Amino acid sequence: MPDSQYDLVIIGSGPAGSTTARFAAQHGLKVLLVDKRQELGAPIQCSGAVSRHALEEVGITPDAEFIHEPIYGFGIYNGRGEKTTIDYRRLKPEEYGPEDGKKPLGYVVDRRRFDRYLMTQAERAGVEVWLKTEGLSYRPDANGSCEVFLRRFNQEIKVKARILVGADGLQSQVGKWAGLRTHIKITELASCLQFIVDQVETEGLLEIITGHEWAPGGYAWVFPKGHGYAEIGLGVISTMTDKDAQWHLDKFIRQSFFKDRFENSRILEIQGGGVPLAAPLRTQYADNLILVGDAARHVNPITGGGIHTALSGGYIAGNFLAEFLNSGQPPTAQNLEGYQNAWLEALGNKMWKLYGVKADIFRNNDIEERDALLYQTMAGYFSPNSEYKKI
Amino acid sequence: MSKKEPVIFAIGWNACINCGACVAICPQEAGFISPFDTIAVDRPCDIACLLCEDICPVSTITHKRA
Ligand SMILES: Cc1cc2nc3c(=O)[nH]c(=O)nc-3n(C[C@H](O)[C@H](O)[C@H](O)COP(=O)(O)OP(=O)(O)OC[C@H]3O[C@@H](n4cnc5c(N)ncnc54)[C@H](O)[C@@H]3O)c2cc1C
Ligand code: SF4
Ligand code: SF4
Repeated sequence: MPDSQYDLVIIGSGPAGSTTARFAAQHGLKVLLVDKRQELGAPIQCSGAVSRHALEEVGITPDAEFIHEPIYGFGIYNGRGEKTTIDYRRLKPEEYGPEDGKKPLGYVVDRRRFDRYLMTQAERAGVEVWLKTEGLSYRPDANGSCEVFLRRFNQEIKVKARILVGADGLQSQVGKWAGLRTHIKITELASCLQFIVDQVETEGLLEIITGHEWAPGGYAWVFPKGHGYAEIGLGVISTMTDKDAQWHLDKFIRQSFFKDRFENSRILEIQGGGVPLAAPLRTQYADNLILVGDAARHVNPITGGGIHTALSGGYIAGNFLAEFLNSGQPPTAQNLEGYQNAWLEALGNKMWKLYGVKADIFRNNDIEERDALLYQTMAGYFSPNSEYKKI
Repeated sequence: MSKKEPVIFAIGWNACINCGACVAICPQEAGFISPFDTIAVDRPCDIACLLCEDICPVSTITHKRA
């Protein structure tokens, strides 16, 4: 009979869940990490761009196992194709580059390999991992713990946990179980589609194309994907267009200033998803429960990037929960507010500020002015002097 | 154009890319999900806000009156 009493049960083994699990286990907690998928990261719902800093900050050594291609900077375009290049190989040539002794700024990772790698690191730290295991519900009990109901290969299982961690991504149900207000506005969830393509050249830069003409409410991107492949995608806000993301992506490929560059592109994979360009959840905790990563909407509201924030959120959550449970406090909602406060201080307050910047841009109803603002903001965001560099 | 009469959804599985955006936008309570990570198709939705149809990147969700 397996022992079914855990300190933490974590639902979802994306970057947020596995990182929470790894740090909690390193501090001696008994952790069960479950994911409903058979293969983590698949089907891919992500472009995989992440800074080197984001990995190193949480003790992940960049590894060929999950890296598609190193990144050295950004190319930010306005709707007419004018470009701001922020290439760290030129800005700081002594530090950044492909040569020995120099480093990349970041990577495009394969989310299947990356998520599996992170799970493996958690497992090696002592975490128990169950795949093909879906979280169904939870119920705080009278002893200050909670019961978590799972379905594993069609078998219903009940385990006990002192705290349940919802790391179940953007489609999070765990927050709803606890009655938290998780709803995202339709004006703040970008509908995204991307193609992995052959025969599109890239040069080690993440290219971001702004402009209402191409991606109303969001932006388009061209990322290097390794082996000569590239990723072309975009996200749109559906209230700002009558057409769907697929129509806009087709238009971007056939009609934009990149149409010659894309002329011979061949589609190798099709992926999509929702990206919240929204504020973090106001309440990310309840009795016996916290949320982390996309489930708590820990996503950068300007870029839509959520890997870094999921990793750092996991680091904060894992460390906090270990200290919290070792201190013997009961895991009531009131006490767990400390997690959110720690998160706000380390990361969240900056994200709220970014949300303010984003909201100001999209409050402007003049398309030309808004386009100009978004372009400036994006270019400023990725510049070496940006105050938000570390998000 | 949201109708308040309950609706039942159909997903064109051929076009669905399993992206989960419809579930992410859905204001229903927990569990209104199909085994393929889309909104549920086996029971009516009484909210009928149709946001799931709006967010779908490949427009593969349709509905009829329940
Ligand atoms: C098209 C697109 C492109 C993107 N590009 C980038 C990018 O380039 N850079 C970047 O930083 N971010 C990007 N993002 C955002 C990024 O993918 C997410 O922010 C990130 O994956 C969040 O990690 P997470 O661990 O919180 O959640 P997820 O990675 O979503 O993991 C959640 C896990 O929970 C599991 N799960 C869900 N429900 C249950 C349940 N009931 N029981 C058991 N398991 C469950 C899922 O199977 C999944 O494995 C992109 C997103 C999209 C849609
Ligand atoms: S109509 Fe609204 S409530 Fe009903 S399934 Fe779609 S998004 Fe959810
Ligand atoms: S939003 Fe559309 S493509 Fe995405 S999972 Fe739902 S039905 Fe499928």
